[in-house]
Amino acid sequence: MNWTLALPEIVLSCSGLFILLFGVLQKRSEPSFACTMLTLVAFLVTGILVVVAPDGAGYHGQFVNDGFSRFMKILSLGAAGLAAILSLDYNRQEKTARFEFPVLLLFSTLGTLVMASSANLMTLYVGLELQSLAIYILCAFARDELTSAEAGLKYFVLGSLASGLLLYGISLVYGFAGTMEYAGLRQVLTGGAPLAAGLVIGLVFVIVGLAFKLSMAPFHMWTPDVYQGSPTSVTAFLAGAPKAAAFALLLRVLAQPFGHLAGQWQLLIEIVAIATMFLGSLAAIGQRDIKRLMAYSSIGHMGYAAMGIASATDAGIRGTLVYLATYLIMNAGTFGCILAMRRRGRALTRIEDLAGLGRTDPTLAVLMAVFMFSMAGVPPLAGFFGKLMVFAAAVQAGLWVLAAVGVVTSVIGLFYYWRIVKVMFLDAPVAGAFDHRAPSLSFVSAVTGVATVLFLLVLGPVTGAAQAAAAALFG
Amino acid sequence: MITVASLFSVAVFAPLLGALVTGLLGRVIGDPISRIVSVGLMVVSAGCAVAALWFGLAASAQAVAVPVSTWVQAGGFHAAWTLRFDTLSASMVTMVSCVSMLIHLYSVGYMSHEKNPVHRFFAYLSLFTFAMLMLVTSDNLIQLFFGWEGVGLASYLLIGYWYDRPSAVAAAIKAFIVNRIADLFFMVGIALLFLLFGTVSYDNIFATVPEHVGASYRLFGTSFPAFEVIGVLLFIGAMGKSAQLFFHTWLPDAMEGPTPVSALIHAATMVTAGVFLLARMSPLMEFAPVAKGLVVVIGASTCFFAATVGLVQPDIKRTIAYSTCSQLGYMFVAAGFGFYQGAMFHLTTHAFFKALLFLSAGSVIHALHDEQDMFRMGGLARKLPVTCAVMWIGSLALGAIPPFAGWWSKDAIIDGAWMAGGGLGGFAWTLCTAVAFLTALYSWRLLFLVFHGRPRVPELHDHAHESGPVILLPLLVLAVGAAFGGWLLRPWYIGEHQAAFWNGSIFNAPDNHVLATLEHTQGLIALVPTILSFLGVAVAFVCYMLKPEIPAQLARSMRPLYLFLLNKWYFDELYDRLFVRPYRALARLLWHVGDETVIDGVPRGLARLTVGGSSGIVRIQTGSIAVYAFTMLIGLVVLLSTFLLVR
Amino acid sequence: MHTLLTDYFPILVFIVIAAGVSGAMLGGSLLAGWQKPYPEKVSAYECGFEAFDDARRRFDVRFYLVSILFIIFDLEVAFLFPWAISLGHIGMFGFLSMLAFLGVLTVGFVYEWCKGALDWE
Repeated sequence: MNWTLALPEIVLSCSGLFILLFGVLQKRSEPSFACTMLTLVAFLVTGILVVVAPDGAGYHGQFVNDGFSRFMKILSLGAAGLAAILSLDYNRQEKTARFEFPVLLLFSTLGTLVMASSANLMTLYVGLELQSLAIYILCAFARDELTSAEAGLKYFVLGSLASGLLLYGISLVYGFAGTMEYAGLRQVLTGGAPLAAGLVIGLVFVIVGLAFKLSMAPFHMWTPDVYQGSPTSVTAFLAGAPKAAAFALLLRVLAQPFGHLAGQWQLLIEIVAIATMFLGSLAAIGQRDIKRLMAYSSIGHMGYAAMGIASATDAGIRGTLVYLATYLIMNAGTFGCILAMRRRGRALTRIEDLAGLGRTDPTLAVLMAVFMFSMAGVPPLAGFFGKLMVFAAAVQAGLWVLAAVGVVTSVIGLFYYWRIVKVMFLDAPVAGAFDHRAPSLSFVSAVTGVATVLFLLVLGPVTGAAQAAAAALFG
Repeated sequence: MITVASLFSVAVFAPLLGALVTGLLGRVIGDPISRIVSVGLMVVSAGCAVAALWFGLAASAQAVAVPVSTWVQAGGFHAAWTLRFDTLSASMVTMVSCVSMLIHLYSVGYMSHEKNPVHRFFAYLSLFTFAMLMLVTSDNLIQLFFGWEGVGLASYLLIGYWYDRPSAVAAAIKAFIVNRIADLFFMVGIALLFLLFGTVSYDNIFATVPEHVGASYRLFGTSFPAFEVIGVLLFIGAMGKSAQLFFHTWLPDAMEGPTPVSALIHAATMVTAGVFLLARMSPLMEFAPVAKGLVVVIGASTCFFAATVGLVQPDIKRTIAYSTCSQLGYMFVAAGFGFYQGAMFHLTTHAFFKALLFLSAGSVIHALHDEQDMFRMGGLARKLPVTCAVMWIGSLALGAIPPFAGWWSKDAIIDGAWMAGGGLGGFAWTLCTAVAFLTALYSWRLLFLVFHGRPRVPELHDHAHESGPVILLPLLVLAVGAAFGGWLLRPWYIGEHQAAFWNGSIFNAPDNHVLATLEHTQGLIALVPTILSFLGVAVAFVCYMLKPEIPAQLARSMRPLYLFLLNKWYFDELYDRLFVRPYRALARLLWHVGDETVIDGVPRGLARLTVGGSSGIVRIQTGSIAVYAFTMLIGLVVLLSTFLLVR
Repeated sequence: MHTLLTDYFPILVFIVIAAGVSGAMLGGSLLAGWQKPYPEKVSAYECGFEAFDDARRRFDVRFYLVSILFIIFDLEVAFLFPWAISLGHIGMFGFLSMLAFLGVLTVGFVYEWCKGALDWE
């Protein structure tokens, strides 16, 4: 058996344990900065190991390493790393800087890595729970804030319900197929035996459990409350890496063990995607809080990304992967801008607080505008290419209704993204300028801003990698 | 021939240069230079036109084509910019450029009191002249149509020149729209011609006319002879431009423009384009007897209708405008009988005396500070001796008193109608002869009201003064033309030299003998129109000099008839009911229902739907975990049932 | 049917023995014990709370901290039993896996100790 298959995960978990011990044994000062730095180093080392890790399956069919898992792991690590940087100054300013934060972030990320490499429904569940449990704590991290505690509790209760549904689905699948390994399931399904109803019901339950994590309608209800209530540094993480990991799971489960049933789940994903896109774009219109707006925005984005899955083709999955990549970049950048919204030491989240930003802080306003336009899918920014690919895939697969809904909701979406730009540049400033921006925020916003604007330059390599990942999934 | 071609080109393009310079650079070079440039270029144009006609006649060549450039080359469709030089076009060019030159000169004086810079006015005038020259020198129907629309545009611009007057703007729009309606038929006619002949070039069309004589169109199960259809369509186009009955409504309103415009466009040149078109298309029209019959009926009716309306108009310019309409009717009668030479003859003489009349009227208006109501004038002969004299000459020509210009041409037309015979000839002769009486009556009514008798409004009379030499010089030149033009030109246009003069540019069918039999009109019949003209003068003298109360009594005793004439046979009101109001109602319907309700309603409704959906979705976001969990379970059930049902 | 019953015979023996032992203990203490009841002694006792009271009142979170810590190590033991029995089958990989599991728990234990979760005051 090849031990080294899971080397990145092993290294990351060991670093996590080490950082935890380091932090707790540090008596003199609060070691949160050092721990965050160590976490970043651990992410970096893990990233390198992920790239060099060999392909193959191991651990008695529980764990697999292929192009797809590598692509998703890099996305997760990148998003988690950016979120960690974003949390640096914000947590200090909010007086929630404790060294447990980066450790929890690290373990949650470990969960996403395990999810990406799952080759067994059991691994899937373990990875998912590891990721979720850490996030439940993170959501309630500002434990003196009522909203933060509420967010953590809500997420925990509803997440438990979703986990229950997922587990129930897994048990149904196991009961009717006799195995939980993806390869075994595939064999059973392609064997030609009549399809048991319990098996497909189990599949629906599994999809629902994952749709909850992706906050797809109608399993999205937790999203706005949790996004708004959690500390913003947590929201920045929550909207990034976990989404990518949940997509990784959904893609892998649907494409590999249940790939043979594509005709069956395609319709489900289509319905969910349509509902999600409509909901994300419509509900965002009336929002006043930018974090809540971002919640609906991310719901909408999940709907677009799901379009690629609904088309159930190589090109569709490639589109989804590219979409996720661009989404993570834009998301980190936007939250960098949102975190920079503070006046006289107080963090602000209302949209009116952005009024007149174009005059008081043109750099931030321009960056924000770039992210908003990119999210709306305006060419030639990053967001456009993801949208283009999933739309094209949907049209090629003959899903005209889906593509049409996508276009309509994009237009609606343009409205609320444009509203923010309008508030920043056309409205008169109501209060003074924002406080001086922390260097960590400037760094993340600038890097992601440049990446968003110049994404066209790396479009080729990214698409190539996504193509390889999609091929690995289907192969 | 090189000299003729180049002179001809200069004559046509000099006005274009004038229009471009004054139009584009007028603001830079200023008004005085603009005036000098445009008048100077018109003098050049007129000189070249006369020279070209002279040399062309001397060489007695057939039609010469002067290529300018290619225009449209699309498949089998070819249209080139080519100037066609033959007697028809050369005589028209000479007439147009000479009259235009005089009117440019007159305008320098007439427009001198304008507050705004007038380079725009001269640019429009020159543009109009160029378009008219393009029209008459065209070598194919597309080029003709270009000129046709060009004069329409220039006419629109000039009628609405005083764009701060709502009535002028309305008149400009009316002229443009009425012309557009007629042009639609004209365009269809051109398209049918192209369909039948496969070409739009005159030479190619005329050469193959005999091959297509029997052609016909089938429509709604009936067969229509092709030539008749084309002839009628072309004639409808001509009716619009030449203000014939049913399309005449724009011409009186067009008097809202400055008086030089009325003289140039709405008397001497543009309105004659329809007559020119029929003469130009004579090789085709000669094979469309029904269309020609229609031309006679419309022409004679217009002639009579306009003369009756002209009898009662109080406005000096409108009276002359209706007389123009009436005289154009004469020309169409001649063209309808295949007597194109006569039509062209009357066209030319009419250009002189009608321009003279308009310009003299302008001089009067100018002297009275923009007063146009004849019943507020009177006794101006002593104040404006020169104007009075030239206006007398113009009226003598118009009223066909021998030996002035009008007498020669008009009598020839009336004789032609008599000699054509038949019911149509009788109808046309009767109306035309009656109109000779009416013409003299309203002409002298004008003269007596304006220049003789006692002044009706003393203040106006006291301040009247004779115009300056810039205005009077063109009047005198035109007066010479009005006095002697008929006598001088008759041998060439319809007399003994006509065959050599026209040199094949006008075609008469072999069985068309109008010209030859003209001399055989019985003496007494030939005298009737002249006698009636003198009678008209006498009646006018009695009514407006000896017993001025007669017209008022007549108007009272025959009030319905008087109102009928005063309101121009109620054509405007009829059109308002028939076309304008239904069209306006339709437009209103499309505006309110089609545009506001349907087209605007869709996006507005969508926006409302979006906002409603948004608030609905936000409302279910209550914050209660129970509701959230419940929603999730509902979603699960829905997905499960969908899956199990559809599977 | 016969074999099934034979298989369950040891359970019957267990039940009989258990009943005997517990009966003997309760009976012995009833017969030989010295009883002196007073109200505090006879009232129900549940983790320091009144047994019948409003469940939604405030209480010291340390009770639950202790109980959660107890559950963690309780579960650890629950995993240790099957591991110990099947150690022969799962070999070195199984042995090391449990060691890693214990290592993780130890780190957690160190963390809670250093954080002071085990101190009552």
